[in-house]
Amino acid sequence: MSAMDLIKSMMVAASGLKAQSGRMRVIAENIANADSTSRVAGGDPYRRKIATFEDKLNREIGAHTVKLGRPVFDKTNFQLKYMPGHPGADENGYVKQPNVNGMVEAMDMREAQRSYEANLNLIQASRRMISQTIDILRK
Amino acid sequence: MAIGDLPILDMMKQRLHWLGQRQRVLAENVANANTPGYAARDLKDLDFGAMVKRNGPVMTPVATQAGHIGSPVAGRGRSFEPGQATGGGVVKAPDFETSPSGNSVVLEDQMIKISQTQMDYQTVTGLYAKSLGLIRIALGRE
Repeated sequence: MSAMDLIKSMMVAASGLKAQSGRMRVIAENIANADSTSRVAGGDPYRRKIATFEDKLNREIGAHTVKLGRPVFDKTNFQLKYMPGHPGADENGYVKQPNVNGMVEAMDMREAQRSYEANLNLIQASRRMISQTIDILRK
Repeated sequence: MAIGDLPILDMMKQRLHWLGQRQRVLAENVANANTPGYAARDLKDLDFGAMVKRNGPVMTPVATQAGHIGSPVAGRGRSFEPGQATGGGVVKAPDFETSPSGNSVVLEDQMIKISQTQMDYQTVTGLYAKSLGLIRIALGRE
């Protein structure tokens, strides 16, 4: 059934919306914790998280949807900042800073936004197609 | 004969079915626009011509009276018996570019395909409504 296919495409796009909003959540967590350093001397600060996506066959609707995977940690090194008075400073007076880069997050956020928009567009297109089908009945 | 069995309507129905399926495949692509290793897919083109071209019983105007003028294309007329549409299988779309993560979905390309699908859908639903309108005229219920 073609209308069923259109409804399926809306469901697939909805899974895309959900995955992208989950990614936005991860980005928000990163930005919010951009200054979260350790309170223990020499301890590790907040480690940046990266959202992952998986292509998943949804057997219920019979289409490939997207699923937000478990976020993975960014393995890049922490920057050191000289702050001898900080409770998290090591014996040399350096505090490890989170490996969050504002620019990278901003870029990632834009990408998530664009993908979200693309999925929204698709839902709108599918909806229009369904209502055009229903319009055949009119008149 | 049910109205849905009319050859022209049946052909349009197949086309709509194909367009709906394509929309689903494009939705899968867009949803997976950021999934590493995902290859963009598309539907095989629907060979609309094959439906029309299939040789059915040949229908030609026949001169039954002396005053009739014969068909100028005798024997070449084709009936509009719909053949089975070919195409419709999911194929890997020729990709513009593949990102380092192995994802070959280009959102711009997908958006264009979606709007194409939508326009075609509009065209066919419009044609369908027109054809029903013709039947309505024939019934005298205009």
